[in-house]
Amino acid sequence: MLCKLAWGNVRRAGRDYLVYLLTLTLGVTVFYAFNTISMQVDIAGIDEEGLAQVMGSMLGDLTYFLAGVMAFLMVYANNFIMKRRKKEFGLYQVLGMGRGRVATIMALETVIVSVVAFVAGIVLGVGLSQLMTFFTASLFKTQIANFHFFFSMHAFNLTLACMLVMFVLTLLLNLRAVRRTKLIELMGAERRNESIKTRNPWIAIAIFAVGAVLVGVAYYRLLRDGFPLTATDSKLQEAMNQFGITTAMVTVGTFALFWGLSGMLIKLLQSLRGVYWRGLNMFTVRQLAAKVNTVCFSMGVIAMLLFLAITSVTCGMSIANVMNENLERYNPVDVSQTYVYYTPETLDYYKEYVNPSEADRMVLADATVDLYAAWHGERKSADNNDETGKKVNIADVAGEHVQIDSYLSYTLGGSDPSVTAGEMCKAMGEKLPKALEASNADDMGLFVTPASQYNKLRQMMGEEPVSIGRDQYLLTCDMGGELGDLYTKYMAGGHTLSLGGHELKPATDRSDEDTAAIANSAMGSNPGTVVVADELLSQLNLQPYSSSLLVNYKQGMDTTEADESIKYTLLDDLLVDGKKPGSWGTFITRSEMYTQAAQMNGLISYLAIYIGFVLVVACAAILSIQQLSNVADGSRSYRVLAQIGCDDRQIRHSVMAQQAVFFLFPLAVGLAHSFVALKVIIELVSIFGNMSIGGTVGLTCAIFLAAYGGYFLVTYLMSAGMVQAAIATRYSE
Amino acid sequence: MQTTHMATPVLEVAHLEKVYGALGNVTRALNDVSFTVNRGEFVGIMGASGSGKSTLLNCVSTIDSATSGTIRINGQDVTRMKQAKLSQFRREELGFIFQDSNLLDTLTARENIALPLTIARTNSAEISTRVQDVAARLSISQVLDKYPYQMSGGQQQRVAAARALVTDPTMIMADEPTGALDSKSARLLLESLEALNRRLRATVLMVTHDSFAASYTSRVLFIRDGKIFTELRRGDTDRREFFDRIMEVVAMMGGEGSDAL
Repeated sequence: MLCKLAWGNVRRAGRDYLVYLLTLTLGVTVFYAFNTISMQVDIAGIDEEGLAQVMGSMLGDLTYFLAGVMAFLMVYANNFIMKRRKKEFGLYQVLGMGRGRVATIMALETVIVSVVAFVAGIVLGVGLSQLMTFFTASLFKTQIANFHFFFSMHAFNLTLACMLVMFVLTLLLNLRAVRRTKLIELMGAERRNESIKTRNPWIAIAIFAVGAVLVGVAYYRLLRDGFPLTATDSKLQEAMNQFGITTAMVTVGTFALFWGLSGMLIKLLQSLRGVYWRGLNMFTVRQLAAKVNTVCFSMGVIAMLLFLAITSVTCGMSIANVMNENLERYNPVDVSQTYVYYTPETLDYYKEYVNPSEADRMVLADATVDLYAAWHGERKSADNNDETGKKVNIADVAGEHVQIDSYLSYTLGGSDPSVTAGEMCKAMGEKLPKALEASNADDMGLFVTPASQYNKLRQMMGEEPVSIGRDQYLLTCDMGGELGDLYTKYMAGGHTLSLGGHELKPATDRSDEDTAAIANSAMGSNPGTVVVADELLSQLNLQPYSSSLLVNYKQGMDTTEADESIKYTLLDDLLVDGKKPGSWGTFITRSEMYTQAAQMNGLISYLAIYIGFVLVVACAAILSIQQLSNVADGSRSYRVLAQIGCDDRQIRHSVMAQQAVFFLFPLAVGLAHSFVALKVIIELVSIFGNMSIGGTVGLTCAIFLAAYGGYFLVTYLMSAGMVQAAIATRYSE
Repeated sequence: MQTTHMATPVLEVAHLEKVYGALGNVTRALNDVSFTVNRGEFVGIMGASGSGKSTLLNCVSTIDSATSGTIRINGQDVTRMKQAKLSQFRREELGFIFQDSNLLDTLTARENIALPLTIARTNSAEISTRVQDVAARLSISQVLDKYPYQMSGGQQQRVAAARALVTDPTMIMADEPTGALDSKSARLLLESLEALNRRLRATVLMVTHDSFAASYTSRVLFIRDGKIFTELRRGDTDRREFFDRIMEVVAMMGGEGSDAL
């Protein structure tokens, strides 16, 4: 009997329940699909173990976050439905049904809706996850070798558990609502002339102003201080605290803005008498004010969520873009091998922490070594076990090659670099680039490299050599962006450099950043190098820092085969007079960098898009529910308006205006926050090159806005329908 | 003086029928109803619940459509009007007072009263003077800046009356205006309506099942089972006497003593 009643209720209150059902279904779909990502990665043919691990741990954390967002959404939708059903539950009690049975009916209703939503959500989720596999494959630039239908039990269980928790949660909330509420309140839930939460408009304006000031100051602080990431360890705690204050300010400020919004709107429009007392403007503003007061908190939450979504998507994708764009420049040769020398600053560290057992064999490096001759070793392990232990020599694969030696700008045994970016800035009266400012990246100073090696690399890359005289220098840097600009400006300004007592003049006014790499890398290998004439360098007796061997494979050699044949090689110790002047550094093939970058790019884009999309959809759904419930609450008002002679068009415009404010205001605030945050992020990242926000980012944002706008449109159309229905109802039956 | 106005009909209802439901299950809410209201008249329509009086008012006020027959207000047949024209017509010719005052919760009294004027795009200076005028006439000047929930039921109902009057409508439609009021507030409202009718020549059509309320009118139409049963003119009798005559008719209509008072 109770089941029948509950089922009937769900069917009858279909429209109200539809919103709840859709929200739940959406939640389940997204949640399930999200948790199948690791399976999608499998099927998409991405078999990198590292990547799977990174993804796994990131997804774990994000699942909690997602569950939180979903829980908020569902509790919200549930409150919406409870508000609508109060009167009916009151009626049952008036008719003599005990509270226990009323509660049972309600629980049954929740069960029915939840089960339907769960089943529909899982079905849609399974469908969505198959589709997403293709999306995943395209983001990670792989081909799907054998696509097959898949169902993730893991994701299913997780979703089920999550739903159960939320179900119990909403049920408890509802039961409490029924138990706590007095019968008279249940019955009068729709009563006329309900009291409106009004706020003293002057206080509201003051709060709005405080909010605006807080947000403004927070913007200023962020633009001035940047993110705490750039701080050195000693200043990190301090920077983190400051950043915390800024974050708190912008959060409090945002909520204050929304709290004061209604009072602000009213006073502003009332001061424009001609506008306020015209058409339905007054009604629109008052309606808005009344509603904004009750939902200002959720509007604040939405603004912050939109801010997160926009920032994470734009930022993630832009960084991925920058990395991809510069990949060619960062990886000039097929393979590179670095050797790092022991310097006065690092030797003790190596002896004590890195390799204490060999401490007595380590010595300070006083000269560079020939890496081409030293690059040989034993094959450690490979897919083909037969080859383990096989002797490998770089000469087997190397075609053209060059060694680039990097020295520090002080003499052997010294410690203070004579050429630093900081000094250059001082000489030019410029500010140090943001990313260098608070970090210790500049302590080491610039590297010094002989011109012959630099020119040989240029030749290998098909470029003309640059002639550098004995009293000349050239600054190179492959990172582009702000650092590159700094060096170019220094040379163009004709500034001299002092190195070991020699005053050097710029050989030319700019250098080619495409030939500036000193090894293959993911994000640039040369933060700044002074190229000087060989004979000058040999006189200076500088401290060696590192050497890199840059190798192109022999003509006609297959890159993949060549890569395979020298990968996994355990290099023999490089000994000079029985001692080690340094240790082998990174071995990087170009193809490996390209694969990694594609995967990294995919990963970042994927997560950014996914998180962004979930947040945007969640926000839009909340707004949509709010607006529909507003319209349902206000249906009597619309009927009155129609009766006193207001035509439908005017009423629809009013509805449109109200909803536009609700949808656009949080978006505007979120965009403003993002704009400032992105400005700082771009400055930070610009050390790696110019971050451009366009292309894919633009497209993604356009998709998001379309989703958001779509929700807005659907909400408006549904509202217009509800208003039309309300008007058409005869007022006294 | 009254006689000159009596000559101009404001509302002419002829052979009005309203049928609800479909084949086999038809309710005839109004059955061949005809009557005329002249300018400056205060007409009451009385009847028990379900007699069709509210349907009649809904049809006349263009909120509901008639099945057949004609309704002419100021010479215009409202049964043939298009939807858009109807809004304009309601705005310009009619004023409404409902049983529950139907004020908008989010607006102050002043804004509620001004609403019909702003919808008609009257300029703001004129809105302000007209609102103050009508508020003074209904003695609600002191509540103009309050919200509906801050006012008493009587005040709300008078604000609603002010909203109906502010546009100087051809006819005021009142649907059980005292239905939700205590007796003192009801009397105050009825006296206001009577005064409006006497002093400003406002034409009022009031639906009620309360004989006391009906006794304030100048003429009462009794309606039963969708038909006009009889009509009663006040003439020169005083209100007490008119009330007694109304009670007699109510008693004669039978079985409704409890319902009609």
